[in-house]
Amino acid sequence: MLVKICSIANIGLETVSVDVEVDVASIGFPGFTIVGLPSKAIEEARERVKTALINSGFIFPPRKITVNLAPADLPKDSSAYDLPMAIGVLAASGQLLTSSSDLKQMFFYGELSLDGTLRPTRGILLLGLFAQKKPHSTIFVPYPSANEATVVSGIKIMPVKNLAELVNHLKEKEIITPLNQVEIKEDIDSLVPDFDLSEIAGQEQAKRALIIAAAGGHNLLMWGTPGTGKTMLARALPGILPPLSSLEALEVTRIYSVAGLIRPGETIIRQRPFRAPHHGVSAAGMIGGGSHPLPGEVSLAHLGVLFLDEMPEFPRHILESLRQPMEDGQVEVVRVSGHIRYPASFSLIAATNPCPCGWLGHPRKECKCTPKEIARYRRRISGPILDRIDLWVSVAAVEVEKLALTNPKITHKITSKQAKTQVIKARAIQSKRFTNLSIYTNSQMRNKEVKKLCFLTPEAENLLKMAVEKYDFSARSYFRLIKVARTIADLEGHKKIMPFHMAEALQYKQTI
Amino acid sequence: MKYQKITGWQKRPELSGLSDLTTPPKELYFVGKWQKEIFKNCVAVVGSRRMTEYGRRVIEKIIPQLVSQGQTIISGFMYGVDQYAHQVCLESGGKTIAILGWGINLKLEGFDLKLAQKVIKAEGLLLSEWENQQPSCWTFPARNRLVAALSKKIIVIEAAEKSGSLITTRIAAKLKREIWSVPGPITSRLSVGTNNLIAFGKAKMYLGDFSSFQTRLIKKTDPLINLLENDVLTANEIARKLGQPVSQVGAQLSLLTLEGQLTEKEGKYYLKNVS
Repeated sequence: MLVKICSIANIGLETVSVDVEVDVASIGFPGFTIVGLPSKAIEEARERVKTALINSGFIFPPRKITVNLAPADLPKDSSAYDLPMAIGVLAASGQLLTSSSDLKQMFFYGELSLDGTLRPTRGILLLGLFAQKKPHSTIFVPYPSANEATVVSGIKIMPVKNLAELVNHLKEKEIITPLNQVEIKEDIDSLVPDFDLSEIAGQEQAKRALIIAAAGGHNLLMWGTPGTGKTMLARALPGILPPLSSLEALEVTRIYSVAGLIRPGETIIRQRPFRAPHHGVSAAGMIGGGSHPLPGEVSLAHLGVLFLDEMPEFPRHILESLRQPMEDGQVEVVRVSGHIRYPASFSLIAATNPCPCGWLGHPRKECKCTPKEIARYRRRISGPILDRIDLWVSVAAVEVEKLALTNPKITHKITSKQAKTQVIKARAIQSKRFTNLSIYTNSQMRNKEVKKLCFLTPEAENLLKMAVEKYDFSARSYFRLIKVARTIADLEGHKKIMPFHMAEALQYKQTI
Repeated sequence: MKYQKITGWQKRPELSGLSDLTTPPKELYFVGKWQKEIFKNCVAVVGSRRMTEYGRRVIEKIIPQLVSQGQTIISGFMYGVDQYAHQVCLESGGKTIAILGWGINLKLEGFDLKLAQKVIKAEGLLLSEWENQQPSCWTFPARNRLVAALSKKIIVIEAAEKSGSLITTRIAAKLKREIWSVPGPITSRLSVGTNNLIAFGKAKMYLGDFSSFQTRLIKKTDPLINLLENDVLTANEIARKLGQPVSQVGAQLSLLTLEGQLTEKEGKYYLKNVS
């Protein structure tokens, strides 16, 4: 008898329908064959399915069993076909009687354990979103990951603990209660950032630079001696970025669902992602890859922050590979199995020491590097990447004891919440400015837009001219300065760029 | 770079200083345009390779003064104090002689090459007693004896306890040259050598020209300038001390830097010396 079970395959962030056809023949030698370009994990499903069925108290029919994963020319790589195969074997061998019309509206997805329980499986959200497009769908997914799909409306989500429970449900002996749908709430205040700005001692200028970076979508580079709070500052950035809208949250969750990074029980990701890959990361790890390409760090940082600590330590080709995503907001991974496009629109925050030993400019420690070593260290970051960094800020050593005892004059201790309000305001001004343009933040302006949309007062322009002469700015840094000044003016709510906005922007000019 | 050999340097009066040496150089090579006037008033400025911020400021303060007195700055063309002394001398329009610790025919690269070209363009000289000698641990002390012999005065800026600059002063003492040492903070490793020279009476204390302090007294108005009078500070520290938001202080710092009142190095601000 032949049975057809519905499931899906995820290729990148795209989902296609896969029919798991199971045939238990009445004649022929006993055997279990899987066809339809299965991967190694699917080949091995034979043993899992067989053992899980037996251990759940069912009979594994001693017949010729053939499984076809259609479409046959699409390579499949997922352990999620265990469940549809097991259900198919049961139905085809007459141990489970269901009408084929019922099965058409059911999606089965999940990895089996040898004792018949279902294990967490990645890509559940994508299954939910796919099932949503068909009327009256029910999805049967592993209990530990079922929550992922609860943000999808219009489908019935059945969390399945084990095979026996599922069969009882299908035989209508014991019904599984479907999960309730969860609304994506727009509550932003309940989110607590990893680090609050007010927790970081001193570094007022770096904090200000973070706020400017968040407000204008600028990339930021911090440089300073070890232990001055560069990493902490970077971690505070997600907390001052405007909250994810529900569409954005879904977009981020999709990527994490494909990567299998959603923790069991978690529904939707509301925090802006913060990714801090180590400098030993491979190119595939950074931009995405593998024989069936999974999203890399740049995509996992989509709509969030990509933090590169010790930036000069990253191999040059890895840094170079960031150029495409930084330019286009997406990354294309080409492999034998086809090419896949992942979104990758992130804010880059980089940190570097001033010199190889790290102590250049420290008030008490002595730097042991020669000028040549320092020059070589600084040359390691490629020019094109540096060109895409708008803000440069020094994070100098802070004397902790001094900070703790200082006078009450430190009244400018800004909290993340206050900073976020400023950022949201500045972003609102920008979205108004860029209506009908395909850009959203000041950092995305091209020279054409800078000329058209950034109004400088004559004094500010004079100041800029003076600076260009003094520091020998290139044309690119010239426009970069105007963009930063524009964001500062937005933060202050000014229509025109005043001289003091320009003067402050000069504080964040390229220094290395 | 095109170099020439000086034939019979012993006969040249401008190089008579070298005859004072117990082991005078056998040969001399140079790059540049030979003008005997530049040997007339020579002062050697020597110091550590690992120059600190303090050393940098000392050079920026005293070299322009020396240049305005018409002195030629002699130094050893090594990175750190030596090269910065050459550089500041050129920036303030002075002439400088760079005595190399290696053969004159060796190829220079990067910053070294650029600086050498500037030295020659400003009618200075590159000088060496070797043609093809590779730099080695003994070539630098050998070079130092030429530095000492050619100058009338020697100023040491930043030297550790065992510094090559102290070799120069020892030779200079034998040659009866005037030795000056710039005192430094007693907490700094790189000031032990210079402070010792003063403490043991081997050098006179060099304090530069006092007049520059007085000129500034007149325009003491800005509280920010007042703060930087005695200290080198970062924007954060200035903001904290003035009790103003850092955005405002930053804008002010940028303006003052553009006006040329302040200088910024590695995120720290200091007053530009008025000389």
